[in-house]
Amino acid sequence: MFNVSREFAPPFSLIAPFFVLGSIFYLVAAFLLPMFDAHTTHFDIALVGWAHLFLLGFVMMIIFGAMAQLVPVVLEVGHFSVDFYYLIWPFLAIGTIVMVAGFWLAPAVLPYGGLMVLLSMLIFLADTILTLRKVERVSLTVKTVAVTNAFLLLGILVGFAMALGIGVGVGVDITKWLNAHIVLVLGGYVTLTIMGMSLILLPMFGLSHGFDEKPINRSFKIMVGGVLLYLLASLIDWDGLRFVALLTMLVAMGFYLYQIWLIYKTRARKENDIWFKSMAFGYGSLAISVIIGLGALLSGSEHLGLAAVWFLVMGFFTFLINGHLYKIIPFLVWFERYSPLVGKERVPMLAEMYPKKMADYEFWFSAAGVAIAGLGLLVGSDTLFKAGAAFIATGAVFLLTSVRWMLKFGK
Amino acid sequence: MSEKVTKEQVYDAIRKVIDPEVGFNLVEMGLIYDVIIDDDNNVKVVMTLSTRGCPLHQMLTQWVKDAVMTVPGVKSAEVEVVWEPAWNISMADDNVKKALGAL
Repeated sequence: MFNVSREFAPPFSLIAPFFVLGSIFYLVAAFLLPMFDAHTTHFDIALVGWAHLFLLGFVMMIIFGAMAQLVPVVLEVGHFSVDFYYLIWPFLAIGTIVMVAGFWLAPAVLPYGGLMVLLSMLIFLADTILTLRKVERVSLTVKTVAVTNAFLLLGILVGFAMALGIGVGVGVDITKWLNAHIVLVLGGYVTLTIMGMSLILLPMFGLSHGFDEKPINRSFKIMVGGVLLYLLASLIDWDGLRFVALLTMLVAMGFYLYQIWLIYKTRARKENDIWFKSMAFGYGSLAISVIIGLGALLSGSEHLGLAAVWFLVMGFFTFLINGHLYKIIPFLVWFERYSPLVGKERVPMLAEMYPKKMADYEFWFSAAGVAIAGLGLLVGSDTLFKAGAAFIATGAVFLLTSVRWMLKFGK
Repeated sequence: MSEKVTKEQVYDAIRKVIDPEVGFNLVEMGLIYDVIIDDDNNVKVVMTLSTRGCPLHQMLTQWVKDAVMTVPGVKSAEVEVVWEPAWNISMADDNVKKALGAL
């Protein structure tokens, strides 16, 4: 018998700021989306600033908050020191704001923001690495956590070097390293982390059992190979190898999608709640992203490339994150406020602890927004893109309101 | 000397323990594999969880222990969590399968 999740529930006051701030950053980023159009390129400094606002302020903030809860669940040991997380969110929040100001207003402050973000991530990495050392049962998810954190470290170091380049003129070839930074962070950390976590969370919430795990094993290895190849291609500056690396990553995503299909087919829990709908849209977006990404790779089109990244980030990452908020926040609130009352009085079920209508509005507005704006990017229509962005902003209002509702439940 | 505690009494007590995620009690979920009661009314519950990394692991086992201790005559309660055989939906009662859409 193994000791599972001994210190599985960090204090509510520790995790709540991650979710509140993450939702606020999401709302702000969503409202700023209409300042772009369907012809923006990924070297546009305004878009780079927005990408950091969204990915650091929302995606990484929520991932880190979720990790405070999930690391013990997936690694089956307690945190080395969960108190480290009290330092992560202030550094990450302030660092993100300063970085965005650096991109948009004053390049000189960029390294300071970068340094704060770097610090927050080093604190996260320190806890994760020290926690990994306690692990006895090395599962695929454990390996995923180890490898992804190595990629995160590399990715943020490359990013920090570029911040120094932009801010104080350190000699860094931005055009050469920007894509490596994107691949290391988005492919090497965010995507691989989601892959590893989903292997735990999807069967847990869907009650799936007895499925074949070979596709995810293959996907994991191929994806790691793809990221490493891309890093090598950046080091030796060889476009042919970059092409092979990106193709490798797309193949990995194909295996991953097949794994998700196997988990879906064996699920015992068939209710189509907000979590399931969010997962369905997220994985649908990933499939679309892979197809468009293949087109972008073969044609070399920046236009298609941006559309592929759009569906990956706004469809896949965002819906997987938001969908899980409706599971994780109620659990934390329930654990804090109701678990001591079990056996003494009636306690609510977790499904009662999120606002169903508001969550549905969030889902439908956001889904429509991602689809419409994505179509706008594909056909080069500014009107469609901005219309979609407006839908996403409306969905973000419902998300923030839902998060507030869940956090106040039973108070 | 107190009366011999029966398995039915113990199962009935554990039926009061609800998994807050799915809303069913642990007995109807099929998570309780066995109940062993010795001559001195020391009770050992052998159970599993629906998933290995269940964040409620410690709480659920404590709730089971507390529930067993409410049965009159029980001297002590012990809970052992096992992973073999792994739980699957076929172990749950029909009402659970039906409610989850698995039937």
